[in-house]
Amino acid sequence: MSTCITVNNLTKRFEFSVKDPKAGWFKNLFAPTKKQVLAVDNISFSVNCGERVAFIGPNGAGKSTTIKMLTGILFPTTGSMSVLGLDPSKDRKKLAYKIGTVFGQRSQLLPNLPLTDSLEFFGVMYDMTDDAIAERIAELINIFDLKSFIDQPVRKLSLGQRMRGELAASLMHKPEIVFLDEPTIGLDVVAKKSLRDLLLKINKTQGTTIFLTSHDVGDIEALCDRTMVINHGVVVKDMPTDELAKTFVSEKYIDIVGKNEFKMLPELPDGVSYVTKTPEKVTVGVDLKKLGVQSALRALLERFDVEDINVYNAELETIIRHIYERGRV
Amino acid sequence: MRELRLGCKIVSTLLKNSLQYPGRLLLDIVAMLSWCGVCLLLYRYVFTLNGGTIKGTTFDVVAWSMFLYFAFSTLRLRSLTKTITQDVISGNVEMLFNKPVSYLVYRFWWQIGEGMLSFLVIAPISVLVMVALLGVPTTMANWFFLATLPIAMLGSALLSLMFYGIFGVIAFWMTDPAPIQWIADKFVMVLAGSYLPVAFFPKIMYVLARFSPFGGTLILSQMPYTTWKTDAWMLLSVQYLWILILGTVLVVMFRIAKQRVSINGG
Repeated sequence: MSTCITVNNLTKRFEFSVKDPKAGWFKNLFAPTKKQVLAVDNISFSVNCGERVAFIGPNGAGKSTTIKMLTGILFPTTGSMSVLGLDPSKDRKKLAYKIGTVFGQRSQLLPNLPLTDSLEFFGVMYDMTDDAIAERIAELINIFDLKSFIDQPVRKLSLGQRMRGELAASLMHKPEIVFLDEPTIGLDVVAKKSLRDLLLKINKTQGTTIFLTSHDVGDIEALCDRTMVINHGVVVKDMPTDELAKTFVSEKYIDIVGKNEFKMLPELPDGVSYVTKTPEKVTVGVDLKKLGVQSALRALLERFDVEDINVYNAELETIIRHIYERGRV
Repeated sequence: MRELRLGCKIVSTLLKNSLQYPGRLLLDIVAMLSWCGVCLLLYRYVFTLNGGTIKGTTFDVVAWSMFLYFAFSTLRLRSLTKTITQDVISGNVEMLFNKPVSYLVYRFWWQIGEGMLSFLVIAPISVLVMVALLGVPTTMANWFFLATLPIAMLGSALLSLMFYGIFGVIAFWMTDPAPIQWIADKFVMVLAGSYLPVAFFPKIMYVLARFSPFGGTLILSQMPYTTWKTDAWMLLSVQYLWILILGTVLVVMFRIAKQRVSINGG
């Protein structure tokens, strides 16, 4: 499998002026105090063509900055990168023909006109012939099931429909990589699923590489076979998504449904703690470094009159939270 | 060729967009009628008080001079500053930075497209109204005027785009560029003769109006005067020289500005 993205020792530092209340207006205007923020700190990674990669991290971790350097919007302070053999900071226009972008919080569509106008507009922008534009629009209508709302002005579409339109617009020129920055933000569960399914479809049928940032763990679980976690500008984890859960499970969760309502809850052994408590059900967390599952179960069965019991791993969201928290320390 | 195809697509798309909202066109007509109409009524009164001529200039020449300014301004090229500033402040600039187009060229076409419907509707109708009300002064009823009109219009449009583009790109450096942009805009309005006809300017301002880029953006307002026949090529040369100078400044500024982009988000 060939490499699509290579990043070597990439760093981005933002510099901005800060108003000094003690200094006069003249100094603040002409020689303001400068402050620097290290958004991305010497990161390196590569992505193979056809991969589906999640690039995740808490707010301010550096994920959007990285994606924007990879798409040629931002210039790196130091380091090098190559996307499809091109340097995004030098070959921005050439690269734009080969990549697509969807930024969940921004729209690239023409709000007052039907979606077809936006698609035609982008077709011309990407230097496609009129025949190729018509053919591609028909194809996208079919893939994304846009027929029912293709003639409505974009501003009258639901958020889910608009995001499908955004994705279709970004794929108009058949890009080899799609960069998505929080594409499912604000969408309901049905629209989220529909968008994830579409992304999987274009990855499987057209081999499009997907590079995604999201705060939604569902996006990562449903879509990405590899997850990179970035925090404080540094890639702290880079591994297959399913292994991420296995590697970081030092905790198990046990749901206990009592035969009768719980009135008094017993004290738990060291390594086991209550997570949620209701009269019908309690959930406990087991720290596997202190206590094995078998010992924990034995201790719980001695203390509770059990109707039903369920042992499970931490959800990916919890695992990711642990990684973020560890990074903070 | 590719740029031209994209430019035509932008303009035609925006024309279509403008047609969805005829209310905007109506507002432009009202603005033109009220602002230009009031100015002309006032000047007519002043000319009557002065016995029909001021500094050897008749009312119809002054009226056409002011009218040409207002007709050209329906293209709304001065809004380019606001558009670029909003792109920078909102971070929307990133949506265009990852497209295979030059941001500035795209915004130039966009601005032309935005005002095209108003210009295409208002300018011809108001020319007919002016002809019906005032007739055509002899300074305009000749081949030289008609031949130089498209050159001066193209120059005015290009210089306006460069000029207002520079004041838009300033937003990459300043958090709130509005005061500077406001001052620059008012300089253009004054020196182009929107308040007081250029012919009545005191000497220093008259020189500024003719040779500075402020007045040069709206050289059209100098065309109805008798001096146009003798000064046209000199004024047009100055205008095109400013296009070259400001164009270079804009390109250099934008190259530096691109590296200063910072986008919200981690």
